[in-house]
Amino acid sequence: MTTLYVLDVPENVPVVEVADRAPDVTVSRIGPYFEITAPGPIVIDRRATGCRHAVWYSCVAALRGSAVTQQDKDALRVEPA
Amino acid sequence: MSEQQHRVRGVDHVAYPTFDPAGTVAFYRDVLGFPVVHSICAAGWGPERHPDFVHFFFDIGNDDRLAFFYYFGLEPFEGGPQGDAYSRFAEDVPLFFIRSRHLAIHVDNEEDLLDYRRRLDASAWPVEMQIQHETIESIYTHDPNGYMIEITRAMRPVTPQEDLDAELTIDALVDVVSGPDPSMAALLARKAELIVERAAAWQEQREAALP
Repeated sequence: MTTLYVLDVPENVPVVEVADRAPDVTVSRIGPYFEITAPGPIVIDRRATGCRHAVWYSCVAALRGSAVTQQDKDALRVEPA
Repeated sequence: MSEQQHRVRGVDHVAYPTFDPAGTVAFYRDVLGFPVVHSICAAGWGPERHPDFVHFFFDIGNDDRLAFFYYFGLEPFEGGPQGDAYSRFAEDVPLFFIRSRHLAIHVDNEEDLLDYRRRLDASAWPVEMQIQHETIESIYTHDPNGYMIEITRAMRPVTPQEDLDAELTIDALVDVVSGPDPSMAALLARKAELIVERAAAWQEQREAALP
């Protein structure tokens, strides 16, 4: 299981929306955070989010039992640790 | 969150040395238009062969002040080819580290930011970078002493949840740097525990406090 937390601020909303397009991804809430979970890897396409550097490279608030395996100009990939 | 009362009232002054007081006055007073609001001329005293000096202050808004010390007869100290009037660094010290210490001065809006951009661009110290992050926009240059100066505006107000997020980040950071192997991965894992412990209660408290 992959679990990724993203803070609910306007700039981060596209990140969550793009993540949510994948069929096996579930988005729920815990306080002001989005909790994004999937049985396998979560992959978010940067261009689809429209995020530029500052938000893109700081959009991960926290990870539970998971690790970032890619976070570059193309994609964010989080996998079970 | 600290239980201590928060009683301070902003920056009284931040002080830097200068070996170029004429350039410093030209930059801050004549180019940027920061009024000179205070100065002290003092004869050197004390056991350290302290030179005679002038300590002078510019108003940077909000009654906050940027101050300089000019010491008569003092020569710059050695230390490497990079850096500023206060700190010199060896060639192999990375720029991100050297630039990490800087002064950022706040403006209220884009119009004010661009006004300072025009003042700098018409001077010997033009803007070196203008960066619009999603939440802030800043211009940067170096003053005649080599000190990096940023002028910045917020693109939107800070939200309450960002204050919570900052608290959780810093609590997680303090925890992981006390451990054996500080890393971003360790911080993000610890922060997830803190989110699970505290984020829902924070939200409930906020909603309960709303009218």
